[in-house]
Amino acid sequence: MSEWSRKHLLGLSEMSKEEIEAILDSAKAFKEISKRQVKKVPALRGKTVVNLFFEASTRTKTSFELAAKRLSADVVNFSSKGSSLEKGETILDTLRNLEAYSVDIFVIRHNHSKAPFYLSTRTQASVINAGDGLNEHPTQALLDMFTVRERLGKLKGLKVAIVGDILHSRVARSNIWGFSKFSSQVWVCAPPTLIPKYYSCLPVKITYSLKEALSGADVVIMLRVQKERQSQMFFPSQREYSEFFSLNEENAKLLKEHSLVMHPGPVNWDVEIASCLKEKVQNLILEQVNNGLAVRMAVLYLLSIGKKYEVGS
Amino acid sequence: MKLVVKGARIVSPSEIAENDILIENGLIKKIAKDIKDPSAKTLDARGKYALPGFIDMHTHLRTPGREDEETIETGSRAAVKGGFTTILCMPNTEPAIDNYEIALRIRKEAEKIGLLDIFPVGAITKQRQGKELSEFGQLKKAGCLALSDDGSPVEDPSLLRKALEYAKLFDLLIISHCEDLSLSGGGILRESELTAKSGFSYIPEIAESVIVAREIELARFLEAKIHLAHISTNRSIELIKRAKKDAIRVSAESCPHYFSLSLEDIAKNFDSNYKVNPPIGTKEDRQAICKALASDIIDCIATDHAPHTFLEKEGTFYEAAFGMIGLETAFALSLRLVKERIINLEKLADKLSYAPSRILGLSDRGLIEEGRRADIAIVDLDKTWTLTEEKISSKSKNTPFLNQAFEGCVEYTLYKGKIVYKYTDDHIR
Repeated sequence: MSEWSRKHLLGLSEMSKEEIEAILDSAKAFKEISKRQVKKVPALRGKTVVNLFFEASTRTKTSFELAAKRLSADVVNFSSKGSSLEKGETILDTLRNLEAYSVDIFVIRHNHSKAPFYLSTRTQASVINAGDGLNEHPTQALLDMFTVRERLGKLKGLKVAIVGDILHSRVARSNIWGFSKFSSQVWVCAPPTLIPKYYSCLPVKITYSLKEALSGADVVIMLRVQKERQSQMFFPSQREYSEFFSLNEENAKLLKEHSLVMHPGPVNWDVEIASCLKEKVQNLILEQVNNGLAVRMAVLYLLSIGKKYEVGS
Repeated sequence: MKLVVKGARIVSPSEIAENDILIENGLIKKIAKDIKDPSAKTLDARGKYALPGFIDMHTHLRTPGREDEETIETGSRAAVKGGFTTILCMPNTEPAIDNYEIALRIRKEAEKIGLLDIFPVGAITKQRQGKELSEFGQLKKAGCLALSDDGSPVEDPSLLRKALEYAKLFDLLIISHCEDLSLSGGGILRESELTAKSGFSYIPEIAESVIVAREIELARFLEAKIHLAHISTNRSIELIKRAKKDAIRVSAESCPHYFSLSLEDIAKNFDSNYKVNPPIGTKEDRQAICKALASDIIDCIATDHAPHTFLEKEGTFYEAAFGMIGLETAFALSLRLVKERIINLEKLADKLSYAPSRILGLSDRGLIEEGRRADIAIVDLDKTWTLTEEKISSKSKNTPFLNQAFEGCVEYTLYKGKIVYKYTDDHIR
């Protein structure tokens, strides 16, 4: 029984195993609520949640918005494409303006690493990181972990392979921090151009061989490959990329019977995953979306009630 | 006008000796025990140390164009407060210091303020665009000692070759800001375990060292002098060490922030005041720089004083401008090297004064010696003080050392025998 005492959710790197478990346990309860006839609970009634998105997002924003609404919070969406400085206003100005409405929780996405951390040191409200630059995307990793725990019954002792654009992936980094706290071994697999030079300082095994990554993996997370990476010369062509790094019928045989294939979405079929596996993979991807809602409800809930919550109660 | 500095321990690159200094007409007339001259004023410096006035080869005074960040006057006040009596200001102004008129204007304005000597560094190329050479002869005539395109380094090696060759005609020093812009492009922190862990966009150490290697090869082949600005990596030091062994005419500077800070300091809070270019390196880089100062692979200490307004440093680490101020903390930070026994006080006098005077060919200063100019910093090695915003004379306050305590301070700065700065506890303008 440990108390929840964290004010902000900025990343999984700084969180303990127990804190992550508290979120996942709480998410389990919230997933039940989504199955009810009346999906709304009054947990955050009278609270104000602002989605502060400085970077384009539809899925994460929708998920957070719905999560807050299901908890009966008042929700405001603020979107600003590109740098806020272009408009002559700093992100701090933006935050302070909105804070005047007595905001309780800011959900922040920004294309700069550590921007939510920066804002968290300058506001009274709680801050949830909804993706910061190439640093972390903690709620995405939490929903991946939630899905794995639900499907495989555990988070310990697993082989988790993350395949694709590791260099530009905040999802990979959050998953590495998260899974490694449960003594699971995370592997990353990509062409060398898409793995940061000093990545081995993270709790991770690195391979350029998809075979090695997939062999005996319990969980495979296939990352989206952005089209522009080809023009930036991270690899010569998408055709060549998919030949060496896509999950197909053949190499999928290296997986175990129970192995899970996940993708943060949206999938480029035949680039990351062969379309013949679509049927098999799609269901889990949709389930992830649903789990994402539960996880975000849990995070909003825990941050808003603070210390009153006790794990397991 | 005569002045006797009484009882200071005079620091030279070879020894420390307690003596009086008689100053007459701005020059050091005599150094001896118990100088008695009833016609002279006296300055009691017993218990203090006298160092030759510091020479900073690398400052930004933002004039013309960005006087909201710094002016010649505020920059002058910051400099003398730091014990500097000669500084070079970089040409990345708006417009650039790439012609006679602008260079002369800065010289004239500095003279009018009269607190210290300011030499503008002329731009190597017109508008620092790396295309056409500036008129070196005109810049020399206006008072420039050195040329640099600073933050927009000359990318074309054949153009830099011509600059190095043509500069010989006027005995102008070429200063290179070693950065391969394609390798550093878009980065803000040194590529390291910290960037791997935090996803920050990065500048690899090779962005500096590949250009260091190029400059060394150019200098070797052309038998030309070249000075390498703000060296920040261990690898660059290895290359410079080799070049010096090969008797290539390369000199190098590093800055207090590179031998005082490392990535661990940034990771604490990602304060945008740590954002500087080249970026702060690893602990190993920091140690290598300390060692290179001691072994003279790095010849001198420069500040890279880079003032920015509050707004320019506000925002996330990405949004903030590169650069920190340094004139007022350089001595105290350098003194830490002495206190940590990395170098001795004599070596410090070399790094802050004598070495830059040699690199720049300023033979009238850089030492406390009879016949040289009476540019002197009188320092207290033990006095503690705290750097607060109100105490900063620079127009900008962007420093990660804000509210930190320091041991050792400049008590008096003498420029041509005149007291241009005096320390008081509640701070003098």
